[in-house]
Amino acid sequence: MSLLLLGLRSVAAAGLRCPPVRGKKRWLWPYLRYLEKKAALEGPPPPVPRSQKPNFDYHAEIVAFSKRLNETFSVQLLKTAFVNQSYLVEEESRRRALGLDHETAALNLEDNQKLAEEGSDFTQSYLTRTLQQAFPNLPEAGLKALVDYLTSQQVICHVAQNLSVEDLTLSAECPLSPDTLQKTFLAVIGALLESSGPEKTEHFLQDFLIPQMIGKDLFDVWFVTDPMSLLVEQLSQRNIPLPEPRITRQSGATTVLPVYFVGLYCDKKLIAEGPGETVIAAEEEAARVALRKMFGFAENRRPWDYSPYRQDNSDKKAIHTS
Amino acid sequence: MTARGTPSRFLQSVLHNGVGRYVCQLKRLTLVFSKDAQPSRGAREYIEEKVVDFAKQNPGIVVYISPKPCRVPKLVGEYLNGSVREEDINSKTAEEIAQLIQKMANQSGLDIIRIRKPYHTDNPSIQGQWHLFTNKPTSLNLQSFGGASQHTDSP
Repeated sequence: MSLLLLGLRSVAAAGLRCPPVRGKKRWLWPYLRYLEKKAALEGPPPPVPRSQKPNFDYHAEIVAFSKRLNETFSVQLLKTAFVNQSYLVEEESRRRALGLDHETAALNLEDNQKLAEEGSDFTQSYLTRTLQQAFPNLPEAGLKALVDYLTSQQVICHVAQNLSVEDLTLSAECPLSPDTLQKTFLAVIGALLESSGPEKTEHFLQDFLIPQMIGKDLFDVWFVTDPMSLLVEQLSQRNIPLPEPRITRQSGATTVLPVYFVGLYCDKKLIAEGPGETVIAAEEEAARVALRKMFGFAENRRPWDYSPYRQDNSDKKAIHTS
Repeated sequence: MTARGTPSRFLQSVLHNGVGRYVCQLKRLTLVFSKDAQPSRGAREYIEEKVVDFAKQNPGIVVYISPKPCRVPKLVGEYLNGSVREEDINSKTAEEIAQLIQKMANQSGLDIIRIRKPYHTDNPSIQGQWHLFTNKPTSLNLQSFGGASQHTDSP
């Protein structure tokens, strides 16, 4: 019996490719702990641009970008729009470091400076024009505040990130700075302007920038410190007598949570009413309510008309009515 | 764990998608499969029969096919807002994979977590929020002084 067992063992030892190691592997836990410590010390690895990771075909991505947005970009212009100055500098120095001579190392690429300027100018002028049409009663300063908000770095970068402009941007810096991202997005707008004309670009801006106003109050965007004096100024421009603030309702004046409602009367007619914890705050709120009503920016205003031929329709209406 | 303890968000969409125009949120789809392993059979069938049609119908999605030896074939979808979603497709038929891909193309890429309410509005109340004077007549605020013959209209 023992002979048989010995024979079996010898066969098993010879037949197995890797003989099983017995015993507790006491090196494993220290090794894993060392790896953990090392990872904690080093921190997370530096971010790598998507274009350097596997499965990225730049041309296909560019074509898909324009198809996705349902726009007809000229591919060459769109590619130019994504090229930043820093990328050109870095790429040329990299090529020279690889030992190429000066002429071979030179990249025959343009950067997006010109397109970005074009896009920026067009965006400014378009937004000013449409917002003026949409809110004809809004004064110059308010209009400027709205346009500044929509073209601010924060809003433009938010839109650009959610359209995955980041992936396609060619730049030396790896987490893109907001400046670069903004410039690239404006260059994309410039490329669209060059390749499909102003009408298409207007629709693009309307579809992607104007929705950023949804849920925004006028005074979130336009910082008015003294609404009452603005109201007085506006009323005197329209030849309406000055507003007269009156407390319309109040409650709990002696408690920690008092509430006052102040109404503004012009010519004995109530133009606005606002609540507040103190009389002064309520008066200011009432002035803001009055201004919102006056500028057509009340919360219950009609939503923006996003249909692509809005402009044409309004022109037709004007023709029919005249 | 109760529902309150789980992560949640409000109903939302990326960049108010669909307010202006609809943009398909899936930007990149990678199909990782093995050329010879058994669990990849459905994936291979899908690639032979349907993937070209899908790519033609959705020109906004870049489809990458990457064959490499693996036991579990995978779908990796990347969305416009930067989120990446991986789905295992081992032992799935071509039909099931087609359905899964269609589902991924229709999703927005936002976290799939509990949504607090099935509706959302940026203007919570059109008529104005309720306050303690809602629907109360202003005459409640009038004060009359017993001795005085004149009534004041305002406080």
